[in-house]
Amino acid sequence: MNMLVSMFEREYVTVTNFAAQAGMMTLPGDLSEPLAMGCRRVRDRRGHVCWLGMAAALLIPLVGAGCGQTAAASYRLNLVESAKQRLRPEQEQQVATILAALFGTPDEPVALAECGLDEAKLKLAAGPVRSDIVGRKNGLYREHCAHCHGVTGDGMGPTAAFLNPYPRDYRPGVFKFKSTERADKPTHADLVMVLRNGLAGSSMPSFALLSDAKIDALAEYVKYLSIRGEVELALMRAFFELDDEDQGRLPDDREFLIDEILLPVVESWQAAEDALIDVPEMPTDIDLADSIAKGRELYHGNKANCVKCHGVTALGDGQVNDYDDWNKVVVQAHTTVQGGLERAGETSTWEMDADEVAEYRAELAWLDRYESVLGGNALPPRTIRPRNLRQGIYRGGMRPLDLYYRIHAGINGAPMPAAKGTVPPEDIWHIVNYIRSLPYDFNGTLGADKPMVARDRL
Amino acid sequence: MMTRTLRIFSQRLSVAPQPRWVGCLGLAGSVVVGLAAAGCGSAVVSGPSPDFEVARALRDELGASTSETETADTAPQGIGWATLKGRFVFSGSPGAAIALVVDKDTQVCSKDGMKLYDRSLLVDESTKGLANVVLFLRNSSRVKSEVPTESLLLDQENCEFLAPVFAGRVGQPIDVKNSDPIGHNTNIAGTSFNQLIPAGESTIFTPARETGLPVTVTCNIHPWMKAYAVFREDGYVAVSAADGSFTIPDLPAGEPLEFQVWHERSTGRSGAVSLEQPDLKWNAKGRFKIELKADEVRDLGTLEVPADAIKG
Repeated sequence: MNMLVSMFEREYVTVTNFAAQAGMMTLPGDLSEPLAMGCRRVRDRRGHVCWLGMAAALLIPLVGAGCGQTAAASYRLNLVESAKQRLRPEQEQQVATILAALFGTPDEPVALAECGLDEAKLKLAAGPVRSDIVGRKNGLYREHCAHCHGVTGDGMGPTAAFLNPYPRDYRPGVFKFKSTERADKPTHADLVMVLRNGLAGSSMPSFALLSDAKIDALAEYVKYLSIRGEVELALMRAFFELDDEDQGRLPDDREFLIDEILLPVVESWQAAEDALIDVPEMPTDIDLADSIAKGRELYHGNKANCVKCHGVTALGDGQVNDYDDWNKVVVQAHTTVQGGLERAGETSTWEMDADEVAEYRAELAWLDRYESVLGGNALPPRTIRPRNLRQGIYRGGMRPLDLYYRIHAGINGAPMPAAKGTVPPEDIWHIVNYIRSLPYDFNGTLGADKPMVARDRL
Repeated sequence: MMTRTLRIFSQRLSVAPQPRWVGCLGLAGSVVVGLAAAGCGSAVVSGPSPDFEVARALRDELGASTSETETADTAPQGIGWATLKGRFVFSGSPGAAIALVVDKDTQVCSKDGMKLYDRSLLVDESTKGLANVVLFLRNSSRVKSEVPTESLLLDQENCEFLAPVFAGRVGQPIDVKNSDPIGHNTNIAGTSFNQLIPAGESTIFTPARETGLPVTVTCNIHPWMKAYAVFREDGYVAVSAADGSFTIPDLPAGEPLEFQVWHERSTGRSGAVSLEQPDLKWNAKGRFKIELKADEVRDLGTLEVPADAIKG
């Protein structure tokens, strides 16, 4: 039964996506995602009920598509953050309205002059997939990206749950693979490179067949979605900072919205172009074999400490019970809800006065809402997987330079720390050389169940 | 709307202990509603939708206006400086100390049978003092001291951050040090600082932005290592000592001040601590307002944190 249902669910997602593609946005990601998730929740407890839901879900897009009209796609609010911040519905609506003012809609993006974004490029990437009168194709983001990254760029497109690793959620404004220092944003060229090469070992494909102009437009649109998402987070967090006199409403003047909220985000993107990592030449006065030997000692030693996460075998089997920043948000939210429900379960309302009872109920209602938001608007958290360095597959590129960037600055958003400052550049180069030797370091007598300590072997 | 209806029904189903047929009815109902709503031209909405009229007006307004240069500060400004002090005590029982699971680098982290304990609730046995309560000023109109140039020390030894809660000032360098014979990394949430600190070495970190509420400081190599850090622009921040006492000197006098109070294990919003005091009104976000006279040393006395304000 369960298998049938999950088969059905998959089928359903395919059909709705197909309908969405065919009807060109009769069904934006926004409808299909919550529907599929709602069903998953229901299925957990009452399998058969969902059949009805399925049937309905199958019917709706068909009916909708029949009209030949396109419903406007809409952005999804970051409900996980809004639940965390305990926003009331009218506060959520204020955030949505401010975001619409600053960024427009998925069909009609807006870039205020302060954003420093090219609105013409955004228009090429945004909106439903279509060709204009001169035959130029528009709606590139929804054609190529939205099914994984979501219309909102929240990494929750309809296919996201089936991918490992999950597609990137742009909203926190954190990107892993870049040529800039750890705390800095990627450059435009970094984004273009990811689009052109894809990310080896993940589901992110190469879009090298697209023209430069199209890739350029998509990179610009990713920036736009990321700035929008970061502004959304800042707005939601700003409610906690409000004074009592503000009565739970954010100010809507320029000083607050532009100077305090938007500009810091925009400036961090603009600063990225000047934050390139300074890479010294690879040392040439040392034999490669000696450099590799030095790198091996560093890998296993107390200074660089790579061994702690990537393992003595370099198979990526060291520290594996940690989470990256995106998953940590969800893990912490689950902990909050669980702890809150446990405490509520131990509380007795017997001796409470009316105010305390009201407070208790409000707390329960909030926990309830938080729980259902997590069920429908977040993917199940996954632990990190330190890279298996014996495969020679590196997400952010396989050039020695790419590996240098990763070790120098660490990987932002992931537990991988920066070696900058405490490990000298020539030592980083030795580690790069050692890492690059690992995929070829093969011992024919090795059994799969008995990985050998890499240090003992060479 | 349709989506929301469906989702609400599915939530109901998974939460409320209703008989199955009710659920069926619900879903069937939502199907009908959904079909009706899916009529031509209706927008599919998830979550609250923006008010586009207001949004357009707001956009025009933002486009038309320019940022005014430093509006005259209407907030009353006083003269002179004052000191605020007090002592937090915990009226409940802290319970037995919980030993942490130390499963890496045990030759250092649990040498000679040494154990590490959870430090999220430290109560002084004799004085009942509650340690590591954070108290900071939210709205300083003026600051007495310049940002110091000498660095603060954030040290770790025996696989533990020495300070469970660390307070710093924006712009003041922090010497992040590792006094252990093994390597650590120090990862300060929200700052993108995550740096390898080899055995016996240190590196400088200068916070560039305020943190608001404290953020976590962790070591990813040794997952049990956890501390908190708070960075403030004006440096008006205190962390209560082992006996629960705190002092913030050189506060602006003669003007309303608002303080934020936080503790890691507080049941309040995001760790906010709200107390019921006869002469000091605290709001639900863990804040109280107070005005000090020039050269005054105001002692808030004993601030009692009730047992149910701390997560058990």
